Amino acid sequence: MTNLVPNIAYDYAELAKVSGIELPTPKTEAWKYTRLRDLLDCPYTLCTPSSATGPELPLKADVIHISNGRLVSALPQVAGAEITVIDHVEEKTHHPFAQMNALYLTQGLQITIRRKLSRPLVLNYHMSPNGENGFYHWRNIINCEKDSSAAIIEQFTYEGEVKSCYLANLVNDINIQAGASLQHYKYQNEAFKANHVALHEITIAADGKYESFCLQKGANIARNETEISLNGEGAEAVVNAAYMMNGWATLDTTTNVYHYQPHTKSSQLVKGVVGGTAKGVFQGRIHIAPNAVCTSGTQLHKAMVLSDDAEIDVKPELEIFADDVKCSHGAASGEIDKEQLFYMRSRGIGEEEAKTLLIDAYVTDVINHITDSSVREWFKSLI
Amino acid sequence: MAQPDIIDESGDKYKYGFITDIEADTAPAGLNADIIRLISQKKEEPEWLLEWRLKAFEFWQTMSEPHWAKLAYDKIDYQALHYYSAPKQKVAPKSLQEVDKSLLETYDKLGIPLKEQEALAGVVAVDAVFDSVSVATTYRAKLAEKGIIFCSISEAIKNHPDLVKKYLGSVVPYTDNFFACLNSAVFTDGSFVYIPKGVKSPMELSTYFRINAKNTGQFERTLIVAEDDSYVSYLEGCTAPQRDENQLHAAIVEIVVMNNAEVKYSTVQNWYPGDKDGKGGVYNFVTKRAACRGANSKISWTQVETGSAVTWKYPSCVLQGDNSVGEFYSVAITNNRQQADTGTKMIHIGKNTTSKIISKGISAGFSNQTYRGLVKVTPQADNARNYSQCDSLLIGANCGSHTVPYVENRNRNAVLEHEATTSKISDEQLFYCKQRGISEEEAVSLIVNGFCKDVMQHLPMEFAIEAAKLINISLEGSVG
Repeated sequence: MTNLVPNIAYDYAELAKVSGIELPTPKTEAWKYTRLRDLLDCPYTLCTPSSATGPELPLKADVIHISNGRLVSALPQVAGAEITVIDHVEEKTHHPFAQMNALYLTQGLQITIRRKLSRPLVLNYHMSPNGENGFYHWRNIINCEKDSSAAIIEQFTYEGEVKSCYLANLVNDINIQAGASLQHYKYQNEAFKANHVALHEITIAADGKYESFCLQKGANIARNETEISLNGEGAEAVVNAAYMMNGWATLDTTTNVYHYQPHTKSSQLVKGVVGGTAKGVFQGRIHIAPNAVCTSGTQLHKAMVLSDDAEIDVKPELEIFADDVKCSHGAASGEIDKEQLFYMRSRGIGEEEAKTLLIDAYVTDVINHITDSSVREWFKSLI
Repeated sequence: MAQPDIIDESGDKYKYGFITDIEADTAPAGLNADIIRLISQKKEEPEWLLEWRLKAFEFWQTMSEPHWAKLAYDKIDYQALHYYSAPKQKVAPKSLQEVDKSLLETYDKLGIPLKEQEALAGVVAVDAVFDSVSVATTYRAKLAEKGIIFCSISEAIKNHPDLVKKYLGSVVPYTDNFFACLNSAVFTDGSFVYIPKGVKSPMELSTYFRINAKNTGQFERTLIVAEDDSYVSYLEGCTAPQRDENQLHAAIVEIVVMNNAEVKYSTVQNWYPGDKDGKGGVYNFVTKRAACRGANSKISWTQVETGSAVTWKYPSCVLQGDNSVGEFYSVAITNNRQQADTGTKMIHIGKNTTSKIISKGISAGFSNQTYRGLVKVTPQADNARNYSQCDSLLIGANCGSHTVPYVENRNRNAVLEHEATTSKISDEQLFYCKQRGISEEEAVSLIVNGFCKDVMQHLPMEFAIEAAKLINISLEGSVG
């Protein structure tokens, strides 16, 4: 880790530049829909530590509290898992934000899952009021050993002024070994002027399973990027997400799924609801390598546009180099279904209530894919 | 079932591969302002057009070749190309009898004998482009009666300068992209169509392009203007002789559609795709765009792309007029080492505009194909509607098929749908056919033709037959 001086406001772009890292510009294809200028406009200081913790989840779980990018309390003892603190990592990819994350790492965790965990592990990230105009870089290195199984839940919340501006740069390096399975859920509810950039790099070995769901409701610019390599036969990935925004945010869901081996399977379902001047972005790519036959990859993005100034930008991409595959993608966007609305109103349900019900049902459709029932109920309570 | 072997010889069998030996009047290789002046002078162009060309050339020098497409090809040396080549003929031919015999023979081999055309087709007027100069235009009199102008663009510049000046570059400005800019600077010929107000063209207008002289880049420019309440169906078909050097083709097609007018533009593109090892073949970088300027106007693009080593082509619709309609139907087939990056752009600006995209891609051999499309709805385009469907079929384990659709929606009333699938020919379908005594190759062609049916039915009769044959020829040897 390279040291940063506390209490000094850093121009993030400048900091990247002097570190030899090229941050994306509006001309960078993978970032063309993400309003990065807003993210890079304000200078950030390194987050000052805080002891405040985020709201508890209504779940029986082992909880790790992270506040302003640092561990707050001692690590819990989790049977079947080994958790240690890390303060430096090396980044192997060329992802500019992940490189920044590694170079200026605030703190991180190394989590090794040895066998089946009896209850979910919660990473409760919290931003306290003294984190205003701050930034932090957090990273988890998660290793799911052979035939282990775990559920990890990440929750991002804040406290204080709704308009506080800060930057959270997060990376999850996840390695799922043969036969292991990981359920990965994320709830992002940052402050309305906060910026949130997260990258999940996942490699899955033979018969490994990865299931994820991410609900994004906050932040000014939030990008949840998932990169999955299906490296062994029988590996499977489910990448679902939902986003809901009424303000001015840009919520970006980007996925790259690489099928490197035969008999691998992936599915993506993303649903979004945007109002105000919000912008929903979905960029999904399924890549199938030349020898990866008998694979299946599906992708579906649906968005509901509630206001005149909202925007939806979608780029579902298929890149296929093998013939014996079944791949499909679909994208649809439109306003709330007038017929459904009429049907409900004709039965005496007020317009606002009917809309709420319809939006609720729209998003719940994705949530229903979550296998863990208690987590499913929790997410339902959030929308 | 065993995977079918991918052994292909179609490159060697290319039906239209021959070179006509005619003395050509060719400008020296290279590109500079003097060459542009020479082209302009040879074509006896007015001063404004020369200035426009020079402006384009100046701008082109500031641009760099785009590389975002999924295409890999040898670097093009723009200074090694000849930018002007015309068959040497002192006097312009007045009738078909006066046309150079070997030229006519070329067309015979291509299967569009001009002499027979009148009797045979009866309804199709052909403006044949041989390299860079139009040699024969038929049916002009019949069209002139209706007030339709159908001639080469050079003639249009001479005879209808006001029309050309008004519309040239109005849909594709010279600043648009690298290849369009190059075309604007050096275009040599092409077709011009003007359909006056209230006129429905009595026949389908057709142009056959053909690349001939060695090392000559072809820079065709087509301009179609359909005034209020008019209709025209335009056919474009291409074949090219076989040779080893790669040939560059950077064409522009501009279409302007006014109130209640409709233009149907169909293409069968069958240029030399290179041999089975990817040697030779045409580089095809085309900018095609139609502007639906008037209310209730309609443009329909239909294309069958089987040729060229490299294809870079995105026929687009700018739907400016209220209630205007844009359609794009495409079948693209790549085999051997062919590469195609093709698709469309639908820009919804007017209210109640609708667009439809049906794209069918078939990859075989070692080829790679990409569908790249954009559907954009601007904030003022209330009730815009789009439906896109992109299906890809893979034949063999070494080919690639990619889909890159962009959907940008900035209007809440817009309803946009996009669907794409990629699969191979199912073993069950093949088994079913074979069980009934149909050979594997025939079965594949049957299934492929069925796969493309949604697009083929939008082709005019003349093309539909040729296109079905082309599909079979293109896939020859890719199975079995």
